[in-house]
Amino acid sequence: MSKSLEQPNRLKEGGRIDRSRKLDFTFNGQRYQGHAGDTLASALLANGVDIVNRSFKYSRPRGIVAAGAEEPNALVQLGSTEAVQVPNVRATQQALFDGLVARSTNGWPNVQRDVMSLVGKLGGRFMPPGFYYKTFMAPASMWMTYEKYIRKGAGLGRSPMEPDPDSYDHLNRHCDLLVIGAGPAGLAAALTAARSGARVILADEQEEMGGSLLDSRELLDQQPAAKWVERVLAELAGLDNVTLLPRTTANGYHDHHFVTLHERRTEHLGETAPLVDGHRSVRSRMHRVRAGQVLLATGAHERPLVYANNDVPGNLLAGAVSTYIRRYGVVPGNKLVLSTSNDHAYRAALDWVEAGREVVAIVDARTNPQGDWIDAAKAKGIRIITGSAVIEAKGEKRVSAARVAKIDLGAFKVTGQAETLACDTIASSGGYSPVIHLASHTGARPTWNEEILGFVPGLVKGVHAAGSARGIHDLAAGLADGVAMAAQALEALGQSAKAVELPQVDARREGPACALYQVPHEKPTLRAPKQFVDLQNDVTAGGIELATREGFESIEHVKRYTAMGFGTDQGKLGNINGMAIAARCLNKSIPEVGTTVFRPNYTPVTFGAIAGRHCRDLFDPERYTALHQWHVEHGAEFEDVGQWKRPWYFPQVRPDAANGERESMAEAVARECRAVREKVGILDASTLGKIDIQGPDAREFLGRIYTNKWEKLAVGKCRYGLMCKDDGMVTDDGVTSCLADNHFLMTTTTGGAAAVLEWLELWHQTEWPELNVTFTSVTDHWATMTITGPEARNLLAEITDIDLDRDAFKFMEWRAGKVAGVPARVFRISFTGELTYEINVQANYAMHVWKTLFEHGDKYGLTPYGTETMHVLRAEKGFIIVGQDTDGSVTPEDLGMQWCVGYDKPFSWIGKRALTRSDTRRTDRKQLVGLKPKDPKVVLEEGAQIVFDPKHAIPMPMAGHVTSSYYSPTLDSGFALAVVKGGQQKMGETVYLPMADGQVHEAEIVSPIFVDPKGERQNV
Amino acid sequence: MSNAATFDTRTEANIPVESPLAYSYHRSGAPAPSAKSRVILRERPFLGHLVLRGGAIVLDEAVRAVLGFGLPARPNTLSQSEDGARSIQWLSPDEWLLIVPGGEEFELEGALRNALGDAHYAIVNVSGGQTLLELSGEKARELLMKSTPSDVHPEAFPVGKGVTAVFAKANLILRRPAENRWELVLRRSFADYCYRWLLDAGAEYAIGVEK
Repeated sequence: MSKSLEQPNRLKEGGRIDRSRKLDFTFNGQRYQGHAGDTLASALLANGVDIVNRSFKYSRPRGIVAAGAEEPNALVQLGSTEAVQVPNVRATQQALFDGLVARSTNGWPNVQRDVMSLVGKLGGRFMPPGFYYKTFMAPASMWMTYEKYIRKGAGLGRSPMEPDPDSYDHLNRHCDLLVIGAGPAGLAAALTAARSGARVILADEQEEMGGSLLDSRELLDQQPAAKWVERVLAELAGLDNVTLLPRTTANGYHDHHFVTLHERRTEHLGETAPLVDGHRSVRSRMHRVRAGQVLLATGAHERPLVYANNDVPGNLLAGAVSTYIRRYGVVPGNKLVLSTSNDHAYRAALDWVEAGREVVAIVDARTNPQGDWIDAAKAKGIRIITGSAVIEAKGEKRVSAARVAKIDLGAFKVTGQAETLACDTIASSGGYSPVIHLASHTGARPTWNEEILGFVPGLVKGVHAAGSARGIHDLAAGLADGVAMAAQALEALGQSAKAVELPQVDARREGPACALYQVPHEKPTLRAPKQFVDLQNDVTAGGIELATREGFESIEHVKRYTAMGFGTDQGKLGNINGMAIAARCLNKSIPEVGTTVFRPNYTPVTFGAIAGRHCRDLFDPERYTALHQWHVEHGAEFEDVGQWKRPWYFPQVRPDAANGERESMAEAVARECRAVREKVGILDASTLGKIDIQGPDAREFLGRIYTNKWEKLAVGKCRYGLMCKDDGMVTDDGVTSCLADNHFLMTTTTGGAAAVLEWLELWHQTEWPELNVTFTSVTDHWATMTITGPEARNLLAEITDIDLDRDAFKFMEWRAGKVAGVPARVFRISFTGELTYEINVQANYAMHVWKTLFEHGDKYGLTPYGTETMHVLRAEKGFIIVGQDTDGSVTPEDLGMQWCVGYDKPFSWIGKRALTRSDTRRTDRKQLVGLKPKDPKVVLEEGAQIVFDPKHAIPMPMAGHVTSSYYSPTLDSGFALAVVKGGQQKMGETVYLPMADGQVHEAEIVSPIFVDPKGERQNV
Repeated sequence: MSNAATFDTRTEANIPVESPLAYSYHRSGAPAPSAKSRVILRERPFLGHLVLRGGAIVLDEAVRAVLGFGLPARPNTLSQSEDGARSIQWLSPDEWLLIVPGGEEFELEGALRNALGDAHYAIVNVSGGQTLLELSGEKARELLMKSTPSDVHPEAFPVGKGVTAVFAKANLILRRPAENRWELVLRRSFADYCYRWLLDAGAEYAIGVEK
């Protein structure tokens, strides 16, 4: 084995790793070895890797600080190939697997020799907070240039440039009680709720459940705490009412106890999910939990002390030291100095000594600390320096010494001569901050608890916190609190808790902690070496002090000015220290300064888990008609209309093309248009909304909802109707047919179908519940085939028993009969201006009828056409499309559709009153007109602005805009519909359309009806 | 209510019909069930679907007289004939969905209209616009959990329950007529999307399609 594959910091025994399984991995191009059960961080420390990254702003070398989600430095980029790149993974949360490949997120060209460190060193003094704003934002146009280089240097990880080979999904879950965190309080709570029969979900973000019990020195029932964890988990796993979710982070707490849990299912197994039965399993899953009650047992994060150069590799959290030793069998150094404000951190020194390495000294900020673990440390002969703290770390790429001095906490002063202690590791502990992030997501403000020197979560109704998450750090008390809080949650659910016997914990004498956040230095904060508060965002105590001096007094402003607690970090390690420093500078208390808001996500979530299966061809529903397959097989290009896929046009192979080249859209549309005007075309109109309306008051209801009259529409007749919102603006249109005296079939626009049905229900349910009428969508029940053109009658006559005589079956009538042997309702209505029959059959028969039409259609030149041709043909007739020629600001009168308004209907109708407002009576409103370009070859741009005087000084008064514009094969000219101010009184006048390229088009205002103005063709 | 136009949209003639999933089978295929399949999907096309609107009491009386069983007594539940071939599902306070073997719906509509006389009600035939998919197998419930936010836990979704549910990004009716069978009643135009969703989400359970 080569030297690099040895693990110099791995203990001979101990830890929860599987020493029989060795795993190879690569970090920054170097090969290493670890064990199953390692995290990437523990394996790196075992191998003596000090520098894992370069810092974001100053590019200082950084090492591993923590052992969990709060790790600020060890952000890595995972992946051996492009497709499996994952940015921003915390090495402390990544389980080691064989073949893992990771790189530092920051550091260019590499972490050992970083070009940006020069900038960091030289620019240290010149890069105060707000530096980027102050320097690079002016001139603003240059920011893009600066940013490119700063980003490349700083680095924030990168997303893969190739498609992800893995799949992700969502799983909806419901439970009575969601317990987040499987440490002592969470396990006790879950056990209580589970035994009581409640539906319980227990989620924990780590590789193994157990939390602090996995590295605790304390015994439960005189046995290692992990034994109790095993027993409880075994019991929970055996219960049907319990779902255990390890490797699952509660990343966001949303409204009404909707919590998203991000489960990493295969990230610990390899870069991609393994194949199971030839099927790649789901890599990452978002559990969308709707919980009755939620119990937060999220524990606490240890606060590091803020002293000079506290970011040099070798500075760790005291608790992390214990975790690495006890859980992973790794001692991250040889000579330790521990700087603490509390008893609990002494365990780091005890664990260190028991691992056979040297503890140089414990530096305790308290003058007379008293407790069992202090006695234990003394018994092991460890030097304890009281009333003091590590005020500065020495070393560049690794700690080489600690400068220790007496300090005066109240006066924030160094009071004695500093002593330099040679060491390679400094562990620090400034106390414990409850993890209040999830409670913060709910909007509840945390409150400061002076007794525990931390914020405890604010809790909205239905949320409970237990154990360390609410500042109860004592093990026995935390276990009991889990039981009590679970009982409280069950009571809120109307369930009663069954008693749970808790394991015996030996009482431990512990003295009070002192309040220490930033450690004073001989020099004032702004002159002292950097004292880091937020390692991930390179925020220093000096930066916070400067921000307060510059007038940023609100903690929210300090946060934004310094970037403290930004991004993926969300202030896990630094925020409380930062607030304490701001409080000191502002001469306020911490609760007066308050806290910033922690936001989702708790730790980064891969986009795959957010998207789930809603990607690629399942991104959004595609709605198909019963004829979709025929359209596909006949080469249709499709257009999205709402969620429907509608044939747009049917390009055919050019008759003269040798290589199978197909028509352009313009060619296909011109051919389709000619077919309809000269022979017969067919359109799949199944997507139009269809609403079945029944009831004795159906007719009355129609009269109120439409602008025009319905009382006299006879059975067998159809009528066009216009619908306004209460503001008098057109909102939908369509043909409604009288099927029987109390029975109508309404059609709506394709996109408006659902909204119109809701609109009808709204008015019926809230305003006119006395009307006996019901509405039922039948859009999907009927397939609608429109045959239109001079040959339509001849074609249909071949396959129907309906009498198509022009006087027996007139325009705007419907008949029932058989078409191609299938029961059908045929409507003689027209959207093209040609002789038209809309054939409606039950959708399951549609393909048969459609194909039969084609069997008979050849000799008539039957041609399928799509929405584009439909648009051209209807525009030639001046038929509007709601939503294209209208935009919510157009009245029926603006459209020149006074013929479709029943001004004298006895009962008012929706929009009537609005049409008498002074604004809707104005004569200079934008009105629908036709536009004929002076140059027939010009097809005006839809949306183009219209002016009356192109020589007017800029800004020119706008007179209107083009709403629809096409080339008409029938007219052999471009033509357009437009809305023009007072346009209906300006027939024959010339308007101008200045274009972005400097051209100015001229057009004449004409009637919007370009073809067959008398409507003779549809009446033949 | 009189004066509504009834229309038998079905024909007994020998005319090819296509289920709403015809194109889906053609394009996406239909994996055959195997011993490994932990979810089985089966379409039951061409059933008779009628929407009933009106007051619960008059509709209940009419339905009892004609079909021999009444409306479901509570919201979000369904009632069924003894053999399970006919069912009525609550949809909203004045709306039910009646599903019967294909071909019965037109005669049934007529019989109900006769029984209802002058009462205020509506019956709408939507048979061509809907289809019914059955899901069974040990992982059927988990597959539903991937797809719908409705709680499908046996305690929350006992046999006889039926709800209008969000399903992926569509809507459908989800019901549980029997211990080990779930039914999805979905609209024709969304059928292909739902089918592709089910195949994708069900792949890890080796979903099989019975035809």
